[in-house]
Amino acid sequence: MAELYLEAILLILLIATTLIVLTVKDLMAAIVVYSAFSYFAVLFYLMVGSPDVAFTEAVIGVVSTVFFISALKKLNRGVKH
Amino acid sequence: MKHRFGSIVLDTAFRVLVPFTLLYGFYVLVHGEYSPGGGFQAGALLAAGVLIARLVQGEEAVYDLSGNKAVVLAGLGAGLYALIGFITMVFGGKFLEYGRLPLSVHDPAELHVYGILGIEIGVTIGVMATIIAIFDALTRGEDLYDD
Amino acid sequence: MKKLGALLILAMIGIFCYTSSGLPTISDPKSPPSQHVSPRYIEKSKIETGSPNFVTAVLADYRGYDTLGETTVIFVAGAATVMILRAGKGKGGEGK
Repeated sequence: MAELYLEAILLILLIATTLIVLTVKDLMAAIVVYSAFSYFAVLFYLMVGSPDVAFTEAVIGVVSTVFFISALKKLNRGVKH
Repeated sequence: MKHRFGSIVLDTAFRVLVPFTLLYGFYVLVHGEYSPGGGFQAGALLAAGVLIARLVQGEEAVYDLSGNKAVVLAGLGAGLYALIGFITMVFGGKFLEYGRLPLSVHDPAELHVYGILGIEIGVTIGVMATIIAIFDALTRGEDLYDD
Repeated sequence: MKKLGALLILAMIGIFCYTSSGLPTISDPKSPPSQHVSPRYIEKSKIETGSPNFVTAVLADYRGYDTLGETTVIFVAGAATVMILRAGKGKGGEGK
């Protein structure tokens, strides 16, 4: 039963982080929240018993965050002074 | 990324982190048959190690794998995979039928192990080189931290 | 228009909630996906491929052709990204 509650909490957190990514104005904040989304996705995949998918998601979450930040810098957007 | 970016803290942390990341990537590659992991994850981990080094030390400081070389290496990785498939076809099997690999091993299951290891090496090289190529194209000649 | 979009999304959420009760629970041995192919892999993959991990056995051996396609897709996507990002730089580029 405790596992069910944990799964429900993780799913709610996934939906909440997705909504934040969609609505936040600062693109840098969106990237950081997206990496948090990827972390919750890793935990959820581990809970439902697929460590291979969780491993892939963890590594790709790191690499895609680096890519997003580089692309943001290339576009000269979202850098606040 | 042209110039190095760093303080003493970042330099030291990166020197500790990169070897372990690369070693873990190799472990995931050769141990993929027994534990979670495999070619794709190993390639992404090796590329993440190179990316950390690039982020801290600048573009020319580490692993001369920039420009066209990375794209060519990615093609070679995918080509190695297809080549193993064609080798099994030449020796009388179907495409990717590892039991027909020309090795002096008589147990077919062990031949399958070698075949799986070969294609995982191909996938690893392909994924690693692709990620490094995209990162280089994104950050070539620019400083991520200049302002 | 905005109200219509919100209404459509709400309708989709309702449909998903209604149909999700029909899905099999996770790791149910009586669900259709674990009745036909999965037992075959679980029983024979160690003997046939020598790999104790079914995921690797299925990905690299039984479904090796799919993984070849996946690798090719990754390579082509990376090459296209590099080409687009480099367009307009250096000699012969039209942008600038």
